[in-house]
Amino acid sequence: MDITAVAPSTRTVPKGLVPASLVLGGTLLSLVGLTWDIQWHSDVGPDTFFTMPHLFLYAGSALSGLASLVVVLMTTADAKRDRTVDPIVGGRAVGVFGRTFAAPVGYLISGTGAALFLVYGLWDQWWHGLYGFDAVIDSPPHIGLLLSISITMVGAVMIFAVARDQRWGTCGTIAAAAVLLVFSMVTAIGLRAVPGALANPVSVGTASLSVMILFMASHALSRRGGALAVGVAVAVLQAVFWWFSPWAAEVYADATGLPLRDYTDGIPDLPNMIPMCLVIVAVAVELLHKVPAWIPGALGGAIIAACVPLQRVLVYGGTFPVNARYLTTIVLAAAFGAGAAVLGRRFGQMLRHLAPVKEDRHA
Amino acid sequence: MRRTLFALLGTAALLLGLAGPSLAFEPVNVVHTEKVQAGPYNLTVGFSTWPVKAMQSLDFTFVPEDGIADKKGTLTMVWGGELMDDSPLARHPRKREVWGLDIYALPAPGEWTLRFDLDGPAGPATGELKNLKVMEQPGPPMGLSWAISTIPLFGLIAFIVVAWRRTRHADR
Repeated sequence: MDITAVAPSTRTVPKGLVPASLVLGGTLLSLVGLTWDIQWHSDVGPDTFFTMPHLFLYAGSALSGLASLVVVLMTTADAKRDRTVDPIVGGRAVGVFGRTFAAPVGYLISGTGAALFLVYGLWDQWWHGLYGFDAVIDSPPHIGLLLSISITMVGAVMIFAVARDQRWGTCGTIAAAAVLLVFSMVTAIGLRAVPGALANPVSVGTASLSVMILFMASHALSRRGGALAVGVAVAVLQAVFWWFSPWAAEVYADATGLPLRDYTDGIPDLPNMIPMCLVIVAVAVELLHKVPAWIPGALGGAIIAACVPLQRVLVYGGTFPVNARYLTTIVLAAAFGAGAAVLGRRFGQMLRHLAPVKEDRHA
Repeated sequence: MRRTLFALLGTAALLLGLAGPSLAFEPVNVVHTEKVQAGPYNLTVGFSTWPVKAMQSLDFTFVPEDGIADKKGTLTMVWGGELMDDSPLARHPRKREVWGLDIYALPAPGEWTLRFDLDGPAGPATGELKNLKVMEQPGPPMGLSWAISTIPLFGLIAFIVVAWRRTRHADR
């Protein structure tokens, strides 16, 4: 009589997936908090340290930071005991403070961003004490906070790019790059501080950052469809936030007994900062993959800058101003887009060097 | 894994629970007022800090003598002859019985003019608060504030430069 032993189910979570997901989850919380907070200020207004959108922002950096810290401490413990450190978890370990800590480079960056967030939180608190609780997104401390969160998001891209030859690594790289791209559209508002009489610096910045991140993700994954996948992921985030941001602001206002502002237009602020034409640019990047990167980069930059007033007319109505400033903006966006594409391609190659992977590791 | 999930959900619930009662919005405290006569309408402009400094946010209130119920209007802000803002008069979010601007900062020092175009039972009329002196901004110069705030960006650039140099020869 044959006795067939049934093996117990041994579904294991791939190594590195859990902390990577926690860091990505933290960056998503930050992004949700940011779109909600911007909408809150535009539709409702009153502010305290403890509004729900602020808590999302704090929780996002806390989650990413704690996950990064735990990984660094575990890696340090393994290194001290001369155990092999698998670079699939965040990349090669580097020494921090001499050899005091051994930190996988991806988690080192994401954790540094979270630590900087705390420092810039204090700087922001001091600023508000001096200047009042202004709801200005592009104040210097706010840009410092946004840059800190962006560094955590760069770390998230690095962490997933290390595992690019596994399905979760590919999906995570696309998601992390999309989150970074969407978030960068807000950070780019800081460029308002640059004189803008001849051209719109925010449009040029938005176009360049979008092109750079598309190329970076595409070359990090080194497979056809990478740029398009990021473009689609950004469009999904844009669609979800288009619904979520005004809804969440209104629901939270109702819950706290606050009315909406007079003359609120209900147009989602952060989602409207994302270029709606990004998918078209991503398709162009895919189709022109055989030509030098600067050509689709310049084209992408020009398309995004050219479509900024189109999107404004589509959303708000009004007129389409074709003037010298508009044309200069397109030319500058094309020039910066060309450079951004070359940089993005190089950054993608750098991401591939984080942990050389074996070709037979494909999941 | 399940325990971690419960811990995360517990933390989230705690955060959500604390966010409700801790939401105590500051009342609007007017510490200085100015009078504006717009035709038949007598308007009181209130400031929550005085004197006004550039970039320092404060609450503005705009109160017609007999209330805002049957009136509407536009507020135009002019700085040194340049139109800076032009928007309908809206109720203050934390003081709904009056018009106002909440936590609003005038961006530049100098002489500002607030022009009120009102329309109500006594017909349309215009009045101006002229020569509103806005002092220099408090705190460090903006260049220094921007230098401090962009340290993460320059840190990231420095990291990229190091990574670039280390991977330069590995590509080809």
